[in-house]
Amino acid sequence: MTAPLLEARGLRVTRIGDAGPLKVLDGADFTLERGEVVDVLGPSGSGKTTLLRALAWMLPDAEGELWLDGSAAAEIGARVWRTRVALAPQRTALFPGTVADNLLAPWRLKVRHDAAGPDSGALRRALDSVGLDDVALDRDAAKLSVGQAARVALVRVGLTRPDVLLLDEPDASLDGDSAAQVASAVARFAETGAVVRVRHQRPDGTATRRERLVAGRIHGVGDCE
Amino acid sequence: MSEAAGVVTIEWPQLLLAAGFMVVVGVISLRLALGLERDLALATARTYVQLFVLGLVLRWMFGIDSPWLVLAILVLMVAAAARTIVRRAPDAPKGMLGSSFVSMALTGFIVTFAVTGLVVQVEPWYRAQYVVPIAGMVLGNSMNGIALALERTFADLDARADELLALVALGASPWEAAAPSVRTALTAALIPTINSMAAAGVVFIPGMMTGQILAGADPMKASAYQIVVMLMVSAATALGSVLAVLLTYHRRFSASGVFIERGLRDDIATARAEE
Repeated sequence: MTAPLLEARGLRVTRIGDAGPLKVLDGADFTLERGEVVDVLGPSGSGKTTLLRALAWMLPDAEGELWLDGSAAAEIGARVWRTRVALAPQRTALFPGTVADNLLAPWRLKVRHDAAGPDSGALRRALDSVGLDDVALDRDAAKLSVGQAARVALVRVGLTRPDVLLLDEPDASLDGDSAAQVASAVARFAETGAVVRVRHQRPDGTATRRERLVAGRIHGVGDCE
Repeated sequence: MSEAAGVVTIEWPQLLLAAGFMVVVGVISLRLALGLERDLALATARTYVQLFVLGLVLRWMFGIDSPWLVLAILVLMVAAAARTIVRRAPDAPKGMLGSSFVSMALTGFIVTFAVTGLVVQVEPWYRAQYVVPIAGMVLGNSMNGIALALERTFADLDARADELLALVALGASPWEAAAPSVRTALTAALIPTINSMAAAGVVFIPGMMTGQILAGADPMKASAYQIVVMLMVSAATALGSVLAVLLTYHRRFSASGVFIERGLRDDIATARAEE
């Protein structure tokens, strides 16, 4: 039996709420196979964002175990883990500079020092694939609309080719057409990797499985196929 | 230097006359309802008391002439400065007192003794008359620079919290994520120093030179002293700020390199306390 692509066991995160300590994640288990697009559902405040951050090894106080392709997280190391299990946070944050600067920012980090970044042709194709045909590579990132900036941020993380993409409300600020283009980009990504999405919108036919976060644990809602 | 030659001694009547002007300011404050009378009176009284006590302490120290006493006073000055720094950056992470103290002590001691030992060539090396005032200037200025640099670093990190989350998620190290904030903060901390160097002698006569001239020193000699002290003080401010920021910025990141944003701080502090 081969190991799942991503596996999390016993995730626990406690937050101080108005009514005392609150177990946002209470021993949550999660498994993800290559080719899957999993939507995580649940009301606001149920811990969906917390789950994504825990899976990305981005919550300092989260407890539990993480594996990727059969290797424990500790063997992989936090920074390399994040390049393979990549989180696109809910609030878009573009860096000062042009659109191209932003898309190439991951390759200016030491963790990718021996990898070559995409050329401008690849950047152009990636932008076109999510409906950003009218956005020039040398456009100042500060001048993008909210929806454009959100898609640039998604393209930025997608171009790094992680194994797993963790998308926190990827289409919250998009109109119908743009959301559909992002959804098909997600489906294309899942041909080689896997995606976990937190979404509030109606099902868009992209998810292969849906999970619900209730009382700090993950419950299957069922396959979508 | 013939310090005594042209010194005009200030007596009690003159000292009281100076306070007279503060009374005028107090009356204005009353008439304009600024509500500053109490603060003005208190500040004036403190100026009298603190500077007279300082005079007494310095006179006593000059009389004792002990290297240990001089070193002890310097350590006390550094400790007081480190405390001030921590109080001025309330948002900074815990445990900053130590790194502030180390940065102040390292740069302050090295620069002070470089001035007194290599430039002024004081004999013996610990002569309080030179070491203590120069240390005061070096520490006072680098304290302001360090406090500003630390406050700016942590304020800018908080302002960039979303960007830091995105950067760390892309695989950035704490240094790669924090570097823009560190640069902003160090620039902000060094600009006042650079400005005062650029304006010295044109816009204002620096305090130490003013004092020496009033005390009857030759203006050329006073200039030479002021140049040395100004460059050394600027160097101490720059080095102290860089050191303090480099020693502290990573305290805002977890062991796995995640920026601990405002919303997470209480939870993590509580979790650590319970362990």
